[in-house]
Amino acid sequence: MADANPGRRRSDRSLRLRMFSMLVFRSLTVRGSRIGIALGAILVGAAVVSALTSLYFDISIKMSEELRAFGANVIVTPRSAGQTGGEGTHGIAAETLRAAIGALPQGKIVGASPFLYGVVRLDVANAVLAGVDFQGLRAISPYWQVEGSWVTADFDDRNVMVGRRIAQTMQMKIGSPVTIINRDRTHQVQVRVKGIVDTGGAEDDQVFVNLPLAQRLLDRPDQADLAMLSVIARGGEADALAADLARRFPDIEVRPIRKVSQADGKILDKIEGLMALVATVVLIITILCVNATLTAMVAARTPQIGLQKAIGAGNGSIVAQFMAETTVICVVAVALGLGVGFALAQVLGQAVFGAWVTFRPVVVPLTFGLSFAAALIAAVLPVRGAVRIVPARVLKGE
Amino acid sequence: MTVSNQLTSDATSSRFGSTEQGRMVIDIRGLGKRFGAVAALQDVSFDVQRGEFIAIMGPSGSGKTTLLNILSLLDRPTEGDYHLDGIAVASLTEREQTVIRREKIGLVFQQFHLIPYLSALENVMLAQHYHSVADREEALEALEHVGLAQRRDHLPSQLSGGEQQRVCIARALINAPALILADEPTGNLDADNEGLVMGLLERLRDEGRTIVLVTHNPDLGERTDRIVRLQHGRLAS
Repeated sequence: MADANPGRRRSDRSLRLRMFSMLVFRSLTVRGSRIGIALGAILVGAAVVSALTSLYFDISIKMSEELRAFGANVIVTPRSAGQTGGEGTHGIAAETLRAAIGALPQGKIVGASPFLYGVVRLDVANAVLAGVDFQGLRAISPYWQVEGSWVTADFDDRNVMVGRRIAQTMQMKIGSPVTIINRDRTHQVQVRVKGIVDTGGAEDDQVFVNLPLAQRLLDRPDQADLAMLSVIARGGEADALAADLARRFPDIEVRPIRKVSQADGKILDKIEGLMALVATVVLIITILCVNATLTAMVAARTPQIGLQKAIGAGNGSIVAQFMAETTVICVVAVALGLGVGFALAQVLGQAVFGAWVTFRPVVVPLTFGLSFAAALIAAVLPVRGAVRIVPARVLKGE
Repeated sequence: MTVSNQLTSDATSSRFGSTEQGRMVIDIRGLGKRFGAVAALQDVSFDVQRGEFIAIMGPSGSGKTTLLNILSLLDRPTEGDYHLDGIAVASLTEREQTVIRREKIGLVFQQFHLIPYLSALENVMLAQHYHSVADREEALEALEHVGLAQRRDHLPSQLSGGEQQRVCIARALINAPALILADEPTGNLDADNEGLVMGLLERLRDEGRTIVLVTHNPDLGERTDRIVRLQHGRLAS
């Protein structure tokens, strides 16, 4: 027999780690079916958490994009302007508006259009003329019903869009010629109706032309009365954006349109709350399932745990072995669950929003954290049971 | 002196030999154990000298198992003193008793109690692991000592009862304990294997190890140095 060298043996951590790893590995591989159940439970939990957190972080953008179909949610007006429109009222320099819109964060803005209003004469009757940016107007007004087609080019000053009621009153049709004359009768242009607008609102009584044409007809060069913006932002964010813009551009006043912004926020809050509830319920079910499996594992291993304690394993060693086994199961399950969850998120994203869900790195630590927490909570009672095993009893078969 | 200090000062201990600290390995005085109103052990006093091979005998219900559990620090007496290798162990905490058990005691069970998914060698290494660090070469030496080196990679299910018990003895020996406690080690073995295991224990005694054998087989008791008899929880005269 070789003499012991306690110093060498005690200092060799790598050998201890190797033996510990072997114990954990063997213990796991010998209990395939039970480990499979625990792994499956954590996998399902991790997949649901992963899918819902992916949606949670993506949904604000996806839902806000969906909700932008309701139209503009931010309005920009001159500071302290009591009213808008009409010749003689002071407006905003179109350049200031362009700068303000350009200052919004990339990707946040769905569309924006300046508006310049004035009264003009159309052949036989007066009407409100609105100078707009047609591309921006189309983006912020997805709900407009348009007969014919939109004016598409910014430089198109030969085509206009008219409201449904004006078209009815003046018996205009698509392609009808219209003469627009300013109040002082100093300017007039001949244009054609390209589209008839039906919104059910004030727009049905207006004539829409390109902003530069309106500026010439109303003799208000480089001016606009207001701008309407459709911004991807929830209630609080819309307020923050408005405050930021107002601070950076002292000449303008920026206000979220409350009804739309708050509705955005409420709907999103409800959907996110629902997702949090589903994730919580699934995690609780995961905890119960893992707890039941680990409890059964401890019961089946009672004689071995008793033996380990009898031959010198401290409670710390028993706890460490169970926690290591739980950790290994958890790591494998969460790694698989992340993949399954991301696929599930794609299915949900397509089904609900018709869009792919973008991978967000924050989902990984969040899913690992929540799944580990669930597994650890589930392991508390079984591990406590293992620690309480009395070797003298179990080794005698009691 | 604390338990850890006492264990550290035990520097003269050899790998599979006995310590040279003192002659007495077990010294119990007035030991008693009650389970509620039932007295399982009463006023038991005896000692075991270093290198002695003794048998504890008695009929069923005489308190053999209770005494063995106390000797192996798996249970506590309700009365009396117990000194193991010079350390008063009865009043130690559970954690301290675990330390003493892995340092000072080697256990051999009637039902072998090997971990089923570990090989013979790994079962021996497990005791080393909890004691200090698993050492494959030392574990292999211990298996050679019990004549099982060639079966080192076999799982318990691939070993006969006698072979499993020899693995159990190798595991009990591996940390050079001051005391080997064997609880009916041949109880589940046929006559051939019984002879083999008893021969092995006798050889260990000849090498200077201190062994306490619990048995109700008089033939086995006769092969030990001394018999401690229990009757109704008391030492029989």
